[in-house]
This record gives sequence, C-alpha cells and structure tokens, in this order.
Amino acid sequence: MRILIVEDDVEAAGAMARGLSEAGIETVHAADGVLGLAAAQAGGFHVLVVDRMMPNMDGLTLVETLRREGDQTPVLFLSALGEIDDRVAGLKAGGDDYLVKPYAFAELSARVEALARRRETGSVQTMIKVGDLEMDLIGRIVHRQGKEIDLQPREFQLLEYLMRHAGQSVTRTMLLEKVWEYHFDPQTNVIDVHVSRLRAKIDKGFDHPMLLTVRGAGYRLDA
Amino acid sequence: MARVLPQVFRTTPFRLTLLFLTVFAAAASIFLGYIYVATAGEVTVRADRAIGQEIQSLTGVYRQGGIKALNHSMVERAVGDRPFLYLLLDRTGQKITGTIEASPVERFNGTQTSVNFKVTDTDPDGAEVRHSARGQQVRLQGGEILFVGSDVSEAESFVLKILRAIWGAGALVILLGLAGGVLISRNVNETMVGLNRVVIAVRGGDIAARATLRGVNDEFDELASGLNDMLDRLERSMGGLRHVGDAIAHDLRSPLSRLRSRLELALIEAEAGKGDAQAALAQALEDADGLLATFNAVLAITRLQSAVEAPDQVRFDPGDLAEGVAELYEPLCEDKAIEFKLEATPALTVRGNREFIAQALANILDNAVKYTPEGGAVRLRVRRRASGEVEFSVTDTGPGVPEPDRPRVVQRFVRLEHSRSQPGAGLGLSLVAAVAEAHGGRLELDEGPGALNGSGPGLRVALVLPRPS
Repeated sequence: MRILIVEDDVEAAGAMARGLSEAGIETVHAADGVLGLAAAQAGGFHVLVVDRMMPNMDGLTLVETLRREGDQTPVLFLSALGEIDDRVAGLKAGGDDYLVKPYAFAELSARVEALARRRETGSVQTMIKVGDLEMDLIGRIVHRQGKEIDLQPREFQLLEYLMRHAGQSVTRTMLLEKVWEYHFDPQTNVIDVHVSRLRAKIDKGFDHPMLLTVRGAGYRLDA
Repeated sequence: MARVLPQVFRTTPFRLTLLFLTVFAAAASIFLGYIYVATAGEVTVRADRAIGQEIQSLTGVYRQGGIKALNHSMVERAVGDRPFLYLLLDRTGQKITGTIEASPVERFNGTQTSVNFKVTDTDPDGAEVRHSARGQQVRLQGGEILFVGSDVSEAESFVLKILRAIWGAGALVILLGLAGGVLISRNVNETMVGLNRVVIAVRGGDIAARATLRGVNDEFDELASGLNDMLDRLERSMGGLRHVGDAIAHDLRSPLSRLRSRLELALIEAEAGKGDAQAALAQALEDADGLLATFNAVLAITRLQSAVEAPDQVRFDPGDLAEGVAELYEPLCEDKAIEFKLEATPALTVRGNREFIAQALANILDNAVKYTPEGGAVRLRVRRRASGEVEFSVTDTGPGVPEPDRPRVVQRFVRLEHSRSQPGAGLGLSLVAAVAEAHGGRLELDEGPGALNGSGPGLRVALVLPRPS
C-alpha cells in the first residue's frame, strides 16, 4: 500500500512514515499544500493523509480541489483542532475520516488500512463471509459453522463492521465512531465490554477464536 | 473649544437636543416669517388700495369740475376727518394746495406707483415726531400733479409688535429647549457616568466592579444588567483559567514526572542490559495517553466555556439520545450486577448539540456506574418539568456527595478523597456543567434514593436544558 502524507511539520511526517512503514505501508511526503496537491494529482496513492493547517494551501482547499477534479482517493484529515465543527467541515470538504493530533500510530495505521480497504469493496453485498463465519445482510442472520448465532441489533452492527474489516486492526475509537456514531472519548472503556459480549457469542464453543485483541491497538477479526 | 465645555454639553442627548432645536428653530422661522410677510404685506396693500380709491375719487372731481373743483374738494377733504395727506402741484411743480410741503417723489415719470416716506408731525407734548407714510402720485390731464398719501405708522407699529412677539417667542422656545436638553442630558449622563465608571474600573483590573441597576427596567437597566452578565461570565472564565493553571500544575505534574522517571529508569536499565524495556515503554505510552486525554478534556471544557453557545444545535428527541447512551453503558452495569433502568417520556423535543449532550450524559452515567457498588441500581430518567425544561437525571445508590462538596465536584480536577482510587482526571462533571451552560441550562446535584449498604445517600445528577423556543 502506498500513501501520500501532506504535512508541513517535517519531523511529525518523518515519525508518521516510520510508524506506518512498521505496518507495511509505503509513504511519500509532501511538505505543503501546493506540493501535496501536485503529488496527489500525479496519482498512484491508495490513501491521502492531509493536515488541515498548512502554509500555501490548507488541507480543506487541497481536498476540495481534488474532489472537484473527480479524484475520489480516500482522504484522512489530520488536525490539532478536533472540535465537532472542525470535523464536520473536514467531511464536508470531501474528507473520508478525521483524526485528531496527537494520535497513536496504531490508530493512524488502522484508519489508513480501513480507508484503503473500503475502496476495494465497491459493490453492494448481501453476504459477508470470514472463515467459517457467515453474515446474511438481508435476513440479518449470522451463522458460524452452520450454527445460528443470536445477536442484538448493535452486536450485529459491531460484527458487520469487524467482518468488513476482517484481518485489519480496528481501534476502540473507530468502533465508537463507526458503529455507535459517537465522537467523544468515554472515560471507561465501554467498547471493551461490548466486544467481549460479542466474543462470547461468536467464539465460545468453537475450536478457534476469531475475535482477537491487538495489544495497544484494539481488535481484529481473523478467519 | 470642546474641552472647556462642561461635561453635560458634550453628551449625546445634549447634542441631539441642539440638533432638534436647530431644526425646530428653522421651521419656526419659516412659519413666523410667513406670518410677518403676510401681516406687513396686508398693511401696505390696504393702504395702497385706500390711496388708489382716494386718487380715483379726486381725479373724478377733476374731470368733472377742473382744477378749481379739485382744489376745493381737496381743501374740504383735508379739513375733514379723512386720514389722508394731500398735495397738488401746478405744471411747474409749484404747490397749489396741500397738507404737505413737497412731494416725496423725487423723479416722477408719470406712472409712479406707491412710495414710502416720512412726515413730520407734532405730538400732544409739542415734540416733533416723524411718522411713516405711503403715497401715490398721478399727473392730471392739464399737467398738474396730484399726490395722495396715508399715515401708516399705526399699522407699522402693529407689525413691529408682531415682530417683537415673534422674536420673543423664538427666544423662549430656544431657551426652554436648551433647558430641557440640559435636564435630559444630565439625567442620562449620570447613568452613563455610572456605567462608564464600571468600564474604567474593569479596564483598570477590578474585574469585580458591577453597575448598579436603577430598578426602572429601561434600556439603561438592560445595558447595565447586560454589562454585569458579561462581567460575571468573564470573571468566571478568568477564575476558571487561573484554576486550570493551578490544577494542571498540580495534577499533571505528578503523572508527567512519573512518566519521565519511568523512561529514565528504562534507559538506565536498557544500557545495563537488564530490565523489561518493552514493558516500561508500554507503560510510558499509557501514561502519555492519559495525559493527552486530560489535555483534550480541558480543551473541550474551555472551548465550551468560551463559546457564546454550543455550536451545531439541532432539535431532537432527548429520549432517543438517552436510549443510545444507555445502550452503550448497559453491558457495563450488567457486568457489575447493577440494575439499570431507563425511563424516558416519549416524543419530547429539545434543542442542542447532540454530540455534546451525549457526551455529558455518558460522563454522568460513567460516574454513576463507577461509584455504585455491585448489586446497586442506576436509573436514567428523561422527562419534561412543569417549567417546560427538559431534564436528564441519573440516580445511583453509591456513596453520594456530601452537600458541602457538591459545588466543588463540578470544578475542574476536583476529586473527592474516596474517588482518588478510581480512574479519571476529575473532569467529567466539569464537562457536563460546561455543556449545560453552553446550552443555557444547568447541572444539579442532589441526594439520591439512598446508598445500597447505608454508606451514603446516593446521588442524583440532573442535566437540565431550557425549554426549546
């Protein structure tokens, strides 16, 4: 995977590149908005990671320009601001995700991977299959090894998200944002409790666990 | 010039009064001027008409009886009670007869109309007085010249009286207007001086200065109470900032120094080739995350406190929102064997920022679950009060907060002794309070239904939002 980092803070960009290369992601760095736009227009990136505030051209303008030109490469905005209105402005400009600085590398790489993957699955699915786990999106039924698993609506959504990102790390914040649609940081890790309930339903009594805890990052559903 | 004027003359009301007076005086001048022209004009017109008639009558006599008859008639008329002055001159300009000596008309071209002149008379005391008069002159067919005049001094003195009255009235209007202006200005000025004194005091650093309300509910009282509100807010946020400064120094210094020594120790041990560097780093990372979470919370609170009102407000059903947050916390309650109940009045409406209110609610629930012992109960209730306000309340059967401590736990970084063992930075309720305030609402802390094991009264925390307008 190859991503473009548009970030005026060279040191931060360097750290980001090192962090992402650990996750097997190749990075190209552009040091301001104008250079970033030129690099993005040249193409060849799976994801663009764009800082909101930069000299010459700010991140919002960069992404708006790309979107006007019909470029649909997924964009992850980085920002030190982090208020709700900032996030909304970022998404309105054509961003696909929003991450507030400072962030954990695990969070960044998980989100970058999620964005890159999202692009590959374009068509409308009716069934998702991960290993011996099967989800019927129309009948809203889940089977593992042919055995029906009874899930609450929220558990179903949680599992759907994990299945769509099978093999990738997803963080607690991502789950809270994408499944519950909350953008704040709960003091207690309520997500862990929900995940462990789901785990009890899909893994208990089967030969191998699928829903794994990734240290320092979050969770991963593996076949 | 402006500097030597007393204060009252420099006030806006006084200037407005002056402006008004100028406009009023101009209008009055036009009106009074019209009256003057009309009356004075009428006096001359009447005199001219009477003179014209007299001349006509005399020329009639002349046409019928010639110069002799005219002479006779003029003498008769002059001794009669007619109010006219007469003069008849022969072809060479010599006086034939008349009550005045010479014609006031200097160059006569034959068609002279009216002329103003003065006649000398003797008043009852024997003194000479000069009266204003007006007359007309005609040349008769035989070449003689006839002049008839009329004393207009009485009419003129009437006009003068009117003129004097006009001046007097004008002066009175302006004086009264000025006096009124001064009175209004002084009154307004006193109020403004009071408000200004507050502004000067605050500028000088006395943030506690407040304007006094006159209690008459006028726009000045409104301004004063607005100023006071603004200062209250400013004082609170300044106090808040000071407190945050102190609190950050106090509460973040220890985790920061812990982090530092952990890293230093890990470095020393790594250099010596022993110790678990990986574990130390993981722990350090966790410490840093905790610090960042605290910073973010402080940032969110200060942003909310400095905003006039919460951004992105929409109308929504508070029951729906509560259900969502409740669903997030329910499994946590079950794990702790806490009985959780949500009671929401359906189909209520409230206006606000969903995200902030959800977070506030999550913080309240988080605390309730954290401090309620196993086997206890937590209840989330959404209802409309009789006042129309919408209340989200969470009651728990934990130890509660002693009444004297309740105002304090809302402050940033304040954690009561027994809660120090629990995770958290002491920012949860501060954020709830900031969210409530940014929506024009408030946070209420009360006794709950009683603690499970009798160790306290339990706690009831209510986020109260105003009735949607």
